[in-house]
Amino acid sequence: MNNDIHARPLPTTIPEYLEQLRAALAGADPAMIQDALYDAEEYLRSELAEQAGKSEAEVIAGVAGSYGAPEEVAEIYRETEVTVNRALRAPGPAARSAPVAPALAATAAAAAAAPARPRSWLARFFGVVLDPHTYGALFYMLLSLATGIFFFSWVVTGLSLSMSLLILIIGIPVLLLFLGSVRVLSLVEGRIIETMLGVRMPRRPAYTDRSQGWTVRIGTMFTDSRTWLTMLYFLLMLPLGVAYFSIATTLLSLSLALVFAPLAELLFDQPVGIWIDGVNVAGALWLWPLTVLVGVLLLFATLHLARGIGKVHGAMAKHLLVRL
Amino acid sequence: MSDPDVHLRKFQKELSTGTVSLALLAVLARAPEPMYGYLIAKELERVGDGVLSGKQSALYPVLRNLEGAGLLESHVEPSVAGPPRRYYRINDDGRAALRQWIAAWTATRDSVESVLEGIN
Repeated sequence: MNNDIHARPLPTTIPEYLEQLRAALAGADPAMIQDALYDAEEYLRSELAEQAGKSEAEVIAGVAGSYGAPEEVAEIYRETEVTVNRALRAPGPAARSAPVAPALAATAAAAAAAPARPRSWLARFFGVVLDPHTYGALFYMLLSLATGIFFFSWVVTGLSLSMSLLILIIGIPVLLLFLGSVRVLSLVEGRIIETMLGVRMPRRPAYTDRSQGWTVRIGTMFTDSRTWLTMLYFLLMLPLGVAYFSIATTLLSLSLALVFAPLAELLFDQPVGIWIDGVNVAGALWLWPLTVLVGVLLLFATLHLARGIGKVHGAMAKHLLVRL
Repeated sequence: MSDPDVHLRKFQKELSTGTVSLALLAVLARAPEPMYGYLIAKELERVGDGVLSGKQSALYPVLRNLEGAGLLESHVEPSVAGPPRRYYRINDDGRAALRQWIAAWTATRDSVESVLEGIN
């Protein structure tokens, strides 16, 4: 592919190997890097445990042949990701929004050389109904009220409980458990986002350097900016969730009401109109087609808004939850 | 591009895309209990030749894809050696897919062999 490979001396320790792999994957999707590091560490540690007599350097030299040197592994992951992205891309007309990171987008675009045909703005405007991510985003907006409340309460409760209990010795295990739970929840939210918004998120937990003692590892939980950014994200989820939910329910009910208002009048004999100070300003018959038209336009605009919010939220989540 | 090695590598890569998935499913279908990535890689290395003897790092993304396609199920177990391991197990959909793939593979293999017959 198009990344240049630097021939470097083989690493002699597992952290070095992972560091080289991370360097070789630089510029790729951070979520993919997290997965690749996780896979590599599992293989290396298993191999090391299997060949108990050998030194770490010897084991890694052997692994370079079977699993691959860091640069080779990086190459394999980059290629697989491009193939998978192409396979996962929905064939619908609105599918040009394939969730690839900028670095991968270049290779993916080069691979899938067929350029998207320019479509009329009308097709683009109404084509939004064919994009599965539209409905995912809409559902995510409705769901985010529940998840937002949960995440917010979890972080506030966890933080205040462990902070106040720190006076007693019991606060320390509570704080550590809380920090661990934040990591797990971050992974869970990532899965939700990838399923509904189509933004590639990690499928494996973040890499931790296991060669260090557990005290050091606990220390890195505090110094790791991701821990705090994840908490910030969870706190933000409450106001965002409320806003998303309100926007989605208001716009959906308004546009659907406009579309089906004439039907209510015809079928159920309900008085239909728009009342301002008790005066019906839209009771005239000639206004009915107009309300339906406005309702349809509003409905599609809502779908566009949902997809846009989904994209922005996905990008924000990626920034706050996945950082290497 | 006249280097025969280039052609060989390209051919091997294209050959391996489908066969690796087939081999992974087959290994997991034969296994009496769930296996994790490293064990599967070693099992393939033991029996593997040709395109299956490629770099084992390529197996992990394929495992994830098979799981994503609903052919495998997985769970995580802690391990003493390193990070928690993800154990993969084939499910009923996977077995059904494997049966079809084996039929497709057998048919392809037979016809390719009959075409290749007569070439020393």
